Amino acid sequence: MSIKKLREMNLAETKKAIKNSVNEDIIVINIINTLEEIEKQTNSLVMRLRDFYKLKHPEAESRISDNEGLVKNVLSGNKEKSVMGANLGDDEETLQKIALMCKELYDTKNFLTKRLESLLQKYAPNMNYLAGATITAKLIREAKSLRKLATGKSSTIQMLGAEKALFRHLKSGANSPKHGVIVNHQIIQKNKDKGKAARILADKISIAAKLDFFKGEFKAPLLVKEIEDKLKWKK
Amino acid sequence: MEEVNKFRVYKQRGRLYTKSITKNFSPFGEKVVRYKGNEYREANYERSKLFAAIKKGLSQTGIKEGHKVLYLGSSHGYTPSFVSDIVGKGGVVFCLDFAPTVMRDLVIICEKRENMIPLLADATKPETYKDKVLKSDILYQDIAQREQVETFIKNMEMHLKPGGFGLLTLKARSVDVTRKPKEIFNETMSVLKERYAVVDYRELDPYEKDHAFFVVKKK
Repeated sequence: MSIKKLREMNLAETKKAIKNSVNEDIIVINIINTLEEIEKQTNSLVMRLRDFYKLKHPEAESRISDNEGLVKNVLSGNKEKSVMGANLGDDEETLQKIALMCKELYDTKNFLTKRLESLLQKYAPNMNYLAGATITAKLIREAKSLRKLATGKSSTIQMLGAEKALFRHLKSGANSPKHGVIVNHQIIQKNKDKGKAARILADKISIAAKLDFFKGEFKAPLLVKEIEDKLKWKK
Repeated sequence: MEEVNKFRVYKQRGRLYTKSITKNFSPFGEKVVRYKGNEYREANYERSKLFAAIKKGLSQTGIKEGHKVLYLGSSHGYTPSFVSDIVGKGGVVFCLDFAPTVMRDLVIICEKRENMIPLLADATKPETYKDKVLKSDILYQDIAQREQVETFIKNMEMHLKPGGFGLLTLKARSVDVTRKPKEIFNETMSVLKERYAVVDYRELDPYEKDHAFFVVKKK
């Protein structure tokens, strides 16, 4: 076969393989990355909005600590009287533009959260029930795929997201980390012995991942009950 | 613009270049210099391990004009594009990578450069792409995996012509994070010496941390 023909064949084959490589894992990873980015961007943009709104209505700005509420307040055109507040004049429009941008970000965030939830309910129902959509998505991202979570060890799931601390431990003998991305789960948050809680939770998440990957039954409520029995903790 | 050690790599004021086979095409935003009617693309030795090794004074790469190169771990195609410059239009570079994400960029570059061929395959299983590549003169491997050396030897046996050169970049931290890099380099050296003639060896400090570059010749 000539090189030219071989090249053509390989190019076509590679293109096809790339096309077929898109799966749920990649979609989940992209959504969770976008969500995290939006969260960051929203926070810094709302800070700028606060700076601006402080000029117009200092009292309302300091009263409303909730960011989303503040955006709504700005957009609704607060008619309360303000003694310190200045008249922004033409820059009222500037303020509204920034607030609209923030609202758009919040809307996108809500949409993505819902999308992630419904996607994971189909793709990984057990893990979604047990760990929640965010933690499940983060675990999939750190492990690169659900397959790796299902075929890996539960101790790996416990450490995912704490690689830096783990390798520091391996290299220099510092204390080993107790948990990675699963730290945000309420079971670990509410338990005093965080290491024990992380271990038990990772164990059950591992079982859930296996159930999800090999298309088993929906057994997550049973797993939650087992955790509760072990930790004597009620959801 | 003067040639370095007959590598078909050129040097000017400490910077490294290759003679470009395409016109006005710099996919990575690299600098293009025109000199005596030819276009030269600048290769950043802090980004490419091959050029880091050349910068460190490598005595032999083995890559000649018209060679067939099997490149394992091509990634986005930065170094492969320069290798394809070196082998010229008569040569061919088979760029192999496992990740579809980087392959998307690579395919776009391969379409513009006629001597590059993309392959989406797993380098640790050389038998799976046996029909898709030709016996090569050069085997270049840059994969950051635990079984780097085993993969290299497997591919050397299966895809390289006798008398061909194998170039291996070894990332010690991928083999074992807990051990000292120097130890791993020495171990790899003795493994390679058993089978092949080791032509040259460079550690890539300070351009790449904990990396070494091996040039071996198949008997």
